[in-house]
Amino acid sequence: MTFAWKAAGITYNRYLAVAARVVRRSLKDDKRLAAERRGESDLRFAKWSNGKQGDVKNLADANAAAAVASAATGGQ
Amino acid sequence: MNSLRIARAALRVRSAAVRTTQQCRGYAEAVPDKIKLSLSLPHQPHPPQPIYKSQDVVQVNMTAHSGVMGVLANHVPAIEQLAPGVVEVIEESGGSKQFFLSGGFAVIQPKSVMSINAVEGFPVEDFSPENVKAQIDEATKVANGSGSEQDIAEAKIELEVLESLQAALK
Repeated sequence: MTFAWKAAGITYNRYLAVAARVVRRSLKDDKRLAAERRGESDLRFAKWSNGKQGDVKNLADANAAAAVASAATGGQ
Repeated sequence: MNSLRIARAALRVRSAAVRTTQQCRGYAEAVPDKIKLSLSLPHQPHPPQPIYKSQDVVQVNMTAHSGVMGVLANHVPAIEQLAPGVVEVIEESGGSKQFFLSGGFAVIQPKSVMSINAVEGFPVEDFSPENVKAQIDEATKVANGSGSEQDIAEAKIELEVLESLQAALK
């Protein structure tokens, strides 16, 4: 069975994250605020090469950019 | 002489009866008619509590990608990928509880042991129909818009979840 999101280059992990995010947003407001805090993450990373630290990037932004690149090529 | 013959016939009947009972299943080894269900989410493996922790339940109805299915005790072992949808648990008391899960896996093990893992899951009554409606409008706009392929694909995933959620809330 092929899923439409798979054809668009989205991984199963990303699919689950999107589905979970939308479920959290659909809760009644009091529970939604508590649950949405779980979806937030802030992680930065830097690639080191030749003993020098590269640019510090936000992991979520870098992941989103990689996902767009993956979607453009259909996950190939 | 005559009574002796009757007694011997009775003895023969009884020994035949003993033989047949030995082949029957006794009460002690009766098969369980309940499922031991564990339903846990990554963000609540410990207290407050997983939703179910090896609790005896009668039946579990779930929305798998292969279709909607009901599981009773002594089900064949199976792994099912869950679609975003409702899992209904019929408890020993006869009452039933409905949870909406965002997607995950259900594993049915031998001897009526079942575990369900999902990323997010809440009782159906915790959802707000207004929030669902507002998100459907927004996701529909993105899905029919001219955003990137990634955005459109994600909006379609959201729509799939929201439509299932809206059907569950009715």
